[in-house]
Amino acid sequence: MVLAKDAVTPEGQVLCGAGTELNEELIVKLRKQGVLVLSVKGRPVRAPGEKSLSERLKELDSRFAKVRRDPVLRALQHLIGEYWVVEEKGQEFLDKLKKETR
Amino acid sequence: MDKAEIKKKLNDIESLPTLPPIVSKLNEMVADEDITAVKLGKVIEKDQVLTSKLLKMVNSSFFGFPQRISTVSNAIVLLGFNVIKTLIVTSSIFEVMQASDVGLFEHSLGCATACGIIARIREIKNPEEVSTAGLIHDLGKIVIRSELPEEYVAIVEKAREKGLYMREVEKERLGIGHGEIGGMLARQWNLPERLVFPIEYHHRPEVAPEFKEIAAIVHFSDILIRALGFGDGGDPWVPGLDHSAWARIKLTRSQMREIIAELDEKLVELQDFTLDIKVEG
Repeated sequence: MVLAKDAVTPEGQVLCGAGTELNEELIVKLRKQGVLVLSVKGRPVRAPGEKSLSERLKELDSRFAKVRRDPVLRALQHLIGEYWVVEEKGQEFLDKLKKETR
Repeated sequence: MDKAEIKKKLNDIESLPTLPPIVSKLNEMVADEDITAVKLGKVIEKDQVLTSKLLKMVNSSFFGFPQRISTVSNAIVLLGFNVIKTLIVTSSIFEVMQASDVGLFEHSLGCATACGIIARIREIKNPEEVSTAGLIHDLGKIVIRSELPEEYVAIVEKAREKGLYMREVEKERLGIGHGEIGGMLARQWNLPERLVFPIEYHHRPEVAPEFKEIAAIVHFSDILIRALGFGDGGDPWVPGLDHSAWARIKLTRSQMREIIAELDEKLVELQDFTLDIKVEG
């Protein structure tokens, strides 16, 4: 796992820069120095209770049920869906998906 | 219940916090031309509880300052007095909300975050003010919940049962929507019109007599945060878009991509912020 953002203490002190490769030892060290949150690149782990991509896309679709005829909002729904797909599966996957559905 | 009755009820609100005395003192001080942020900060810092709440809010990710703000006078310089005053006025409201409706609290924080991002892209002069408008845009819902609890339950239930928007049912049962109710209270609290109008008109921003752009940003941010499914605004539906308001702020496809990515990232931080509150609470 690679840090997406600097690891900072609640006081704002930067301990590790973005791009640093994380390992168990480093994570323990950072925690000891008071770091509460780390942002890592991609979505390497699913948080407990976090929904799968297909569940999230399905729920996204149902939230738009009342505004389906609106072209701007339809575009918004697509952009959000695409963002989630790329975040989880990568840009190539989305491009392939688009090609297949074309 | 008609509009006049609701207005009366709002006028003698008891359970909702009235203005803390410090606010009128601060207002007086601001009227004085020689006042400085340092002097104002000193007055606020006498109240330690308020100071720590205030610093926690200004340092949370929805304002998005890269560096940590450690004094109230710094916060006043960076965010402007309108924002600080609004945070003081509404801090007790948010306490009520944190305790009773974390979902609405998260929705409000998320909307504030989206407002800040869009305001920066639109190069609005004081983007923190727009964030603050987003933070309190659903003030009316908190009022209905605390002042008319039975009505509130009935509204939520009917909205769920019939698959309606909350505000449709509010209009039907109260003759007035949460936007208008929030606007009434914000006015009663003497918040500036730059904040009152966006609250009041966040579902129909083009009707706002002034500050249409801020109202339009709050309107779209509300839609965006609902679309992402962050927090809980009472019903599960993405609100309808006002196309004249959209034409006013019109964001390109690539700007939208940028906004979604930045917002999604910040929402993770916000979750930690509300988690903190849940743990502390």
